[in-house]
Amino acid sequence: MLEAVIAAIAVAAAIVALCVVLYRRWAEKHGVRSGTVDDVRQVSTFGVGTSVIDDPDAAPTADELRVGGRETTDKPADSMTRRFLALAGLSTGVFAVLAAKLWQMQVLSGQQYAEDAHENLFTDVATPAPRGCIYDASGTALVLNRLSQTVLADGDVAGNSDVVRRLSAVLGVPAPIVRKRIADAASGAQSQRVVASDVTLRDVAFITEHFEAFPGVGIETRTVREYPYGALAAHALGYTGAPSEEQLERAEEGRSILATDTIGMSGIESYYDGLLSGDHGSRRVMTDAMGNIVNVVSETAPLKGSDVYLELNAQAQYTADRLLAETIAPAGDIGTGKGVSGAVVALDVRNGGVKVMASYPTFDPTSFTGGIPEDVWALYNTEESHAPLNNRAINGQYAAASTYKAFTSMAGLEYGFADDEMEWECTGSWDGFGTGAPQKCWARYGHGMLGLRSGIVQSCDVVFYEIAKQFFLHGPEGSGELTETALQEYIGKYNFGKATGIDLDNESEGRIPTPAWKAEQWRNVPSEALWVGGDYSNMIIGQGDVLVTPLQVACGYMGIATGKILKPHLLKEVRNTNDEVVVQVEPEVIAEPEVNQAHLAFVRDALRGVITENSTVARAFGAAGIEAAGKSGTAEHTDRPDDAWFVAYAPFDDPHYVCACVLEQGGGGSDSAGPIVAQVLGTLLDTEAGNEAALARVAGSSGKAVEVEFTGPTGRTD
Amino acid sequence: MAELPQIETLRHAQAPQRAEKPPSRLARLVNIPFVTIVALLVSYGLLVCWSATSVSEDHNFSRQLMGVAMGLVCMVVVWRFDYRKLGSMTTFFLVVNVVLILSPHIPGLGTDAGMGAKSWIKLGMQVQPGEFAKVTVVLFAASLVARYNGQLDSLREYCKVVGFLLVPFVCIMTQPDLGTGLVYLFISATVLVMGGARLRFLLVTLGVCVALVAAVFAIDEVLKYETAPGEYEYRLLKQYQRKRLLVFLDPEGDLSGDGYNLAQAKIAIGSGGLFGVGLLHGTQAAYGYLPEAPTDFIFCVLCEELGFAGAFLLIALYAALFFVSLRIARSCGNLFGMLIVCAIVGMWLFQILENIGMTCGLMPITGIPLPFVSYGTSFMITNFVMLGLIGSVWSHDDALNSRRTSYAATR
Repeated sequence: MLEAVIAAIAVAAAIVALCVVLYRRWAEKHGVRSGTVDDVRQVSTFGVGTSVIDDPDAAPTADELRVGGRETTDKPADSMTRRFLALAGLSTGVFAVLAAKLWQMQVLSGQQYAEDAHENLFTDVATPAPRGCIYDASGTALVLNRLSQTVLADGDVAGNSDVVRRLSAVLGVPAPIVRKRIADAASGAQSQRVVASDVTLRDVAFITEHFEAFPGVGIETRTVREYPYGALAAHALGYTGAPSEEQLERAEEGRSILATDTIGMSGIESYYDGLLSGDHGSRRVMTDAMGNIVNVVSETAPLKGSDVYLELNAQAQYTADRLLAETIAPAGDIGTGKGVSGAVVALDVRNGGVKVMASYPTFDPTSFTGGIPEDVWALYNTEESHAPLNNRAINGQYAAASTYKAFTSMAGLEYGFADDEMEWECTGSWDGFGTGAPQKCWARYGHGMLGLRSGIVQSCDVVFYEIAKQFFLHGPEGSGELTETALQEYIGKYNFGKATGIDLDNESEGRIPTPAWKAEQWRNVPSEALWVGGDYSNMIIGQGDVLVTPLQVACGYMGIATGKILKPHLLKEVRNTNDEVVVQVEPEVIAEPEVNQAHLAFVRDALRGVITENSTVARAFGAAGIEAAGKSGTAEHTDRPDDAWFVAYAPFDDPHYVCACVLEQGGGGSDSAGPIVAQVLGTLLDTEAGNEAALARVAGSSGKAVEVEFTGPTGRTD
Repeated sequence: MAELPQIETLRHAQAPQRAEKPPSRLARLVNIPFVTIVALLVSYGLLVCWSATSVSEDHNFSRQLMGVAMGLVCMVVVWRFDYRKLGSMTTFFLVVNVVLILSPHIPGLGTDAGMGAKSWIKLGMQVQPGEFAKVTVVLFAASLVARYNGQLDSLREYCKVVGFLLVPFVCIMTQPDLGTGLVYLFISATVLVMGGARLRFLLVTLGVCVALVAAVFAIDEVLKYETAPGEYEYRLLKQYQRKRLLVFLDPEGDLSGDGYNLAQAKIAIGSGGLFGVGLLHGTQAAYGYLPEAPTDFIFCVLCEELGFAGAFLLIALYAALFFVSLRIARSCGNLFGMLIVCAIVGMWLFQILENIGMTCGLMPITGIPLPFVSYGTSFMITNFVMLGLIGSVWSHDDALNSRRTSYAATR
């Protein structure tokens, strides 16, 4: 403010001085004659030495020199005084206006302009932080970081054929592919497109040295994800990519996502993105008008993201991934083995940790640096690829088939519709509701007379049809002792029909069909909307409108094995950059079904019988060297081959792990899914005992399928 | 030939033979206040120019120094030369003007120096003849109007004079160089006013000028043609010229071209504050935000580095120069001499107003440099010649009125 006052006074003084001078000149012309001295004073107003003129001896000379228009009349200026005044006045006015404007700009609004100049000069640049790494429970690295020299190009370089040809020659990539990659807007319209990753330093040096021949082309050293085991657990781990505009907008509070960042797009990478991503570094740089960095003013180093340790068991995961691939596509393409797709989930029943989560077909995220490449995206979007990006362990919804029988038999026991003495006769077909369209047992020849235990062990459907009939007869349509959802509610105790809450996004909920659901589903077709006895008998063997995910089945059997269901979780612990554990996941009970312990023991015994009393299953589990209890299942479809199920926990008397496997169109559960479950459980128990197990790189699926002709239902074999 | 003895006399006067005479002799030759102010102004300008060129690769401060040196030589030569000999050479100046201004059109000689307008000629180095023509325009206008002895009362004669005065303007507009053209116009206008043209004529002329400008814009609207859908090009004033002229009315309208320049110029000025950020510490020019920093926008460099105080000092020096120059004009016994000085003051006034005014958004953007400060050899030499002319008017006017020496010489 003091400055402002000083300058204001200075301006005022200057203007006053000019006015005084002008007045004097005017006064001089208009009769206020004060002679030579006046003139001298005028000069001295400007502080200019006039000693020559000031000399009293030289007064006459000065008289002639400094003509003030006194006595002389021969000066042409004499008749122009007013115009001289006008010219002087104009000059004064111009200078005054300019000074006033400068005063206003420099002193009154100087602060604002200074800020603008500052803004011009300094820019804050965010430096990307390396993402945290991902390990399995024993510390095996599943996802690491690696530096990659990346050649990037602006989108419009695709139209510059010279540059495309040069890039093609330097990088050894065919020109059409270079052009296609540059034109690929998958990583966002505004960002530079990746022309080539992992470029050799020699090629980088060539491009840098000849940068004027490569307009719009840039080189970046990027930190990219490295997957030592390729597609191993790809669905659980997920992949990374450049954020979409939508993701940029809905970034969490306190988290800044930049368009140039790499963020998790699926799986753990996405769910724990906040932990893995770290904090941006910041560089305050001085830039010139062209945006070139002149000087780095200050720098904050980026903070690497936290390392995430998962409950996964890499060896068991490898076993599952390998077996799925070998079973479904032994020759590389889907259709050359059993089934078209499948999933395996294994949980630790003691804490809910997810030890294995496999889904086939799978993908290798190694090539997904900066988003999914367009060619891979196109390949994986064909129908014959069977959606490799889909995580079937949590999103695949299947009919539960006979795996449901463990829960429905518990319900039958609970309501007294079955006990260890009751027996029923299976003739291979059953029409207890008298509809005229008999329901079949999978064993068309009939199981003969058998009780509930044998019904479970041999998976006889008729036994369960009889129990279903009792539910119908005691329901609202019959005696009315039970509500119409008594069976559903019992099944619901084992967490079916709702999400398990696993730490992955978009988990499917499955479905337990109820009369209300059916009425809603068929509200436009009233003839189908009615809940009938057949709905009970379908549901009780896990068919009809029942839908479950492999994870739900595994959780349900965890409930059978231990009596309570723990929330499945992939995350084991989080370690910060100093390798200190900052987050540790504690087991959380999501369901503890209140059931009769005798009934539970009965069913456990029956499940043990499934393993030991069926020859194929017994052989498979015997080979794996484990003592398990479990259940097979085969979901029948009229329009395509059956889906195979197997679920088991081991050891049967002191359960550690539960494993569920589904093979879509895989045929009989015992034959195809059973051995996978046996080997995965075997690997889990083996490694827990401290033994070595195989672990190698897993390949992504080819995205191709061999067409297999469907010859019609062959009948179940479970 | 009559002047030769006078010059000799003056030379002798420098010898300290008569103790009481030398001060007045020296005073007769050199106007101390004038020279002091000019010395201060030129030194100050060089200081600012040095700071502005120190960060520019395209500009070389030693070239500017060379310009000043050449200017000094020219000034001394012109100072010593008796301007009155030029008073009757009106026709000669007219011819020189036309030839000089049109010389860039001569094939092989002219060049547009990559700037669009054909304003330069190549003579070993690039020279702007339109710049030097300012001197001859001043002399031409002053000698033309001086013939009327301050009695330009006849409308017929007035129109004739105005018609002749427009010749240089018309010639420069063929390059085209509107900025220099406006300077010519301002010189002519000053000479007309100070030369005693009737006030009524002057006011009518001003009115006609305003009407003409309006007419140019109006006719352009009729003549414009479509170059691309939605884009028009005008015939009289090209699109870029219109933009430059009009950008100061709507500085936010165009932030890419001239609007950007203007915004950056204002930032440079405003960020200087009261005392500036210090010589050589300015950032707007150093990091390329300020376009044309050493030439057209050098005032911004001064403002940023030396603040309001520095800018005010420059304005004060200009004011002092004007004051001293106008005193010389008033004391001049010769109408031709008076008009020369007035024309030069008028020219500087317009250049200062336009240059500073454009940088702070008061005036349209035209390429007019700031006298004694802007980088440019032609410009520097021209201004020194102007100083020499004022000096010549002063010293030879003194001689005219001196009883002892000049009376006989001039008769």
